[in-house]
Amino acid sequence: MNSKTLLYIIKRILLAIFTVWVVITITFFVMHAVPGGPFVGEKATTPAVQAAMEAKYGLDKPVVEQYFTYLKDIVTKFDFGPSLKQRGREVISIIGDGLKTSAKLGVIAAAVATVIGVVLGAVAALRRNKLIDRIIMVFTTAFVSMPSFIIGALLLALFSVQLGWLPANGTSAAGLVLPIVTLALYPMAYITRLTRSSMLDVLGQDYIRTAKAKGVSGTRIIFGHALKNSLIPVLTYLGPMLAYIVTGSLVVEQIFAVPGIGRAFVSSITNRDYPMIMGTTIILAALIVVMNLVTDILYKVVDPRITLE
Amino acid sequence: MKIKKLLAVVLAIAIVASLAACSGGAGGGAAKSSIAVCLASEPDTIDPALNSAVDGATLLTHLFSGLAKWSQDDKGNLEIVPDAAKELVEGVENADGTITYTYTLRDGLKWSDGQDVKASDYEFAWQRAASTALAADYGYMFEVVDGYADIWETDANDQYVNPDAKLNVKAVDDKTLEVTLANAVAYWNELLAFPVYFPVREDVVANESWATDPSTYVSNGMYKLSSWEHNSLITLEKNADHPDAAEVTMDTIEFYLSDDANNQLSNFKNGDWQLIDDVPTNEIASIKAEYPDEFFNVGQIGTYYVCWNINENILPEGSALTGAEKENAEAEIRNAVSLLLDRNYIVDEVAQGGQLPASSFVAMGLTDADGSEFYKNAGTNTFDGYYDTSAEALEGNFASAIETLKKYYTYDEASGKFTDFPSMTYLYNTSEGHKAIGEYIQSALANVGITLNMENQEWATFLNTRKAGDYSIARNGWLADYNDPICFLDMWTTASGNNDVQFGKGDHAAVAAYSLDLTEYGYDTKVENGTWAETYDVLISDIKSCTDKDNRYKMMHVAEDMLMSTGCLTPIYYYTDLYMLDSSVKGFFSNPLGYKYFMYCTIEK
Repeated sequence: MNSKTLLYIIKRILLAIFTVWVVITITFFVMHAVPGGPFVGEKATTPAVQAAMEAKYGLDKPVVEQYFTYLKDIVTKFDFGPSLKQRGREVISIIGDGLKTSAKLGVIAAAVATVIGVVLGAVAALRRNKLIDRIIMVFTTAFVSMPSFIIGALLLALFSVQLGWLPANGTSAAGLVLPIVTLALYPMAYITRLTRSSMLDVLGQDYIRTAKAKGVSGTRIIFGHALKNSLIPVLTYLGPMLAYIVTGSLVVEQIFAVPGIGRAFVSSITNRDYPMIMGTTIILAALIVVMNLVTDILYKVVDPRITLE
Repeated sequence: MKIKKLLAVVLAIAIVASLAACSGGAGGGAAKSSIAVCLASEPDTIDPALNSAVDGATLLTHLFSGLAKWSQDDKGNLEIVPDAAKELVEGVENADGTITYTYTLRDGLKWSDGQDVKASDYEFAWQRAASTALAADYGYMFEVVDGYADIWETDANDQYVNPDAKLNVKAVDDKTLEVTLANAVAYWNELLAFPVYFPVREDVVANESWATDPSTYVSNGMYKLSSWEHNSLITLEKNADHPDAAEVTMDTIEFYLSDDANNQLSNFKNGDWQLIDDVPTNEIASIKAEYPDEFFNVGQIGTYYVCWNINENILPEGSALTGAEKENAEAEIRNAVSLLLDRNYIVDEVAQGGQLPASSFVAMGLTDADGSEFYKNAGTNTFDGYYDTSAEALEGNFASAIETLKKYYTYDEASGKFTDFPSMTYLYNTSEGHKAIGEYIQSALANVGITLNMENQEWATFLNTRKAGDYSIARNGWLADYNDPICFLDMWTTASGNNDVQFGKGDHAAVAAYSLDLTEYGYDTKVENGTWAETYDVLISDIKSCTDKDNRYKMMHVAEDMLMSTGCLTPIYYYTDLYMLDSSVKGFFSNPLGYKYFMYCTIEK
C-alpha cells in the first residue's frame, strides 16, 4: 500500500466520522420534534408520573443540552444510555443482541447470494442462449421483481405451514433458513444478471481473443482472465447489497419473527424510545459507511489501475 | 449428508436422555409436559411494579404469588381465592372510617433463591410500587390505600408536599401484614391479585436491571424464570418448592415473543405453538370456519368507542346559540348521530371478531352493587344501556335521529340529506381494523349528507393529538384494570390525563350546563346549571369517598348518565379477546382482564 492510498483511507475515515455525526445530529433533533413521547400510552399516566419519569431520564432539560450530553456520553464513554421502554436494559446490550442475529442472517445471506450468483451468472454467460441460460434468466427475473415480503410469505406458507419442514419462527437455527433464503434471493438474482452481462462483455474483449489465439486452455481463460475481470461490477454492487440486506431484514425479521436489529429499530421509533432510536441509527449508519469504504478499497485490490484519491 | 443427519439424531437423543436424567429424582423418567405459546412481542418489563401490559401480567401471575389470585372453580366460574395469604380476611373499620385488614402468610413460601418470603417483602414491594421515585404506570392502583394521596400531593409548583409520606401498610412480624384502606372498596381482593401488588425483595431490586435476566430474577410463584432470549423466547420452569406445586401440571411454559399476527398463525398452523393471542383481522372469517374448535372469542371488560371533542363547533354556520344552550343542542346532535350507526353491521361485517354492539360506555362484564350487569341497569329505559342496539330498533333509531337533527339543520327531503352540517374529521391510528370502522362511520354519515374526512396518524402522534384535543371525532378504546365501573368514570374528570373529550377544558370550562343533586345519597352536593368542574368532578370525588356500597353504585350510574347525556362518547362495541388454542390442551383458562393461565394445563395427544 503506498502513501497515497493510506492518505485516501484516512481521509475517508474522517469523512465517515463526519457523516455519522451529521446523522446523529439530524436524527436527534428530528426525533425530538416529532409529536408524542416515550411515556405516553392508551392509558395516560398522571402529569406527576410523567414529570417524574422525564426528570429521571433527563428529558426535562432543553433539547440542545440533551444533545450535547448525549454526544459527550457517546464520545467519552461509548455510552448509549438506557432504553426508556424496556426498563432496566441498556441500549448497547439490546443492540448487541439484535445485531448478533441480524449479522448472522446478513453475512450468510450475502455470502450465499454472492457465491451462487457469480456461479450462475458465469454459467449463463458461457452457455449463452442455451436452455440453462434461459432457465436461469427466467428465475432471476422473477426473483428480482418480487419484493421480499411476498417471497417470505410464499416460502412460509409452503415450507412451514404446508410441508412442515421448517419452523415459522426464527428462534432456532433451523428457523433461520427461510429468512436467509428470503433475504438472499434478490441480491443473488441481481448478481447473477450482473455477472452474466459483465462476463459476456469481457469474453468479447481483444485480450480474450489473444489468449485464445495463443492457445491458452479454456479453464485458464475463464478463471484467470474472464471471471476476475467481470467481477468489478459485482464488487460495485456489494455496498448497495449490504444496504438492501440491512433494510430488507426489517421486513424479513417481522415476517419470520427473527429477534434481529431491524425489529428493534422499527419498534423503537413507534415507542419513541429515544436512546434506542439513536443507538440503532448510529450503528446502521456506521455499518453502511464502513461497508462503502471497504468496497472502495476492494476495487483497488481487484483492479490495480484504479487510483484512490 | 446421511452421516450428518444420523449424528444429529443421535445427538438429539443424547440431549433428551441427559435432560431426563437430570430431572430424575422422585418422578423417575416421567415425561415432562411443556407448552409453547405466543402472546405478544418482548414485554417492556417483567418487574411486577412497572408492568402495565396484559402479556406481562400473564407472565407475572405465573412467576409470583400475591396475597390473592384468580382461580377457576369446578363449574368453570372464576373467583378470587387466597394465594400467599392464609385467607382473604374482612376488614375492621377504625374510628376515623378507615379500614384495616390483617393478613397472615401461609407457611412454606420461599423465594426462588431459597430464602423465606416475609410479610416485610410485601410491605416493601407496595411502598416501592406507590412511590414517586419509581413513578410506575400502575402506581395509582394503590390509590385506595391510606397514605397514597399524601405521597402524591403536590403544591402549586408541582413539588411534592410530603416527601416522607408512605402507604399505611406494615409488616407486624414475618408472617403478618397489616394494611389500612382510606375507605371500603368492593374490588380490594381483586387488587390483591393484580401484579402491581406482588411482592419483591429489597436486596433483589436494588439492582435496577434485576428483571431483565434469569440470573438476577428472583420470584416467589409457581414458576421460575429459567431463560430469556431477548425478543425471542422466555421459558418458565415449574417451581417444585412452591406450596401448591402438587396442583401445577405444566412443567415448562415457553413464551415465544412475536407481535406479527400472520407469523403467529403460521406457527399455530404447523403445530409449533399451542396458543396464539393474535389473529390477522382479515382472516378471522376463514379461521372460524377452518378451526371451529380452536378459535376462541371470550368477553373482555372494555369498550371500543368514538369520542367527540366537546369544544368542536358542530352547529351550522351562523347559529345564534351560545353557552349552555349551545352545549345542550350539540349534546342532542351528537346523541342523534350516534343513533345513525348500525352497530350490528359493524361487529358482524366490519370488525368480525365476535364483538358485541355496545349501548353504554361502562363495559359489559362490570358488575353492579347486587352482582348483576352494571350496563343492563344503565339509563331509564326497558332495554340494556342507553339505546336499543337490536336489529329491529335500527329503523326507529334512524328516524328519530333524523327528526332531532332537523331541528338544527336544513334537510333536503328529496335527497334525504342535510345540507349545512359542517364537515368533520375522523382521527384514527394507523391500523386496518380502525380504518375499516372509520370508513363505515364515514359512509353512514355521508348517507345523510354529513361529510366526515378521514385522517390517520401513527400511534404515538395519534395519542398526542387526541390528548391535546386537536381533532373533531376520534377513535378510542378503554379496557378495565379491575371489576369496578369507577375505572371507566374517573378518567373523565377535568384534570384526568385520559380526558380526551376535553371536558371542563378550553371553552367548555365556563359552560354551565349541568345539574347534580346528591342529597338523596347523603351528600350536600346540589348544583343547578353548574360547570363540569362543579358537577362531574365533585361527583367522582364523592364516589371515591363513599363507603355505602348501594349509594356508591347508584352515584356511578348518575355519573355515567351525565357522560352519556353529553353525547361525547359514542360506544361502538364491547371488546372480546380472540385467541387460538390447540384442541390437545386441557385445563386452560383466562380472566376478564385478558390474563391467561397455563399452570393447570395438560396436553392430551
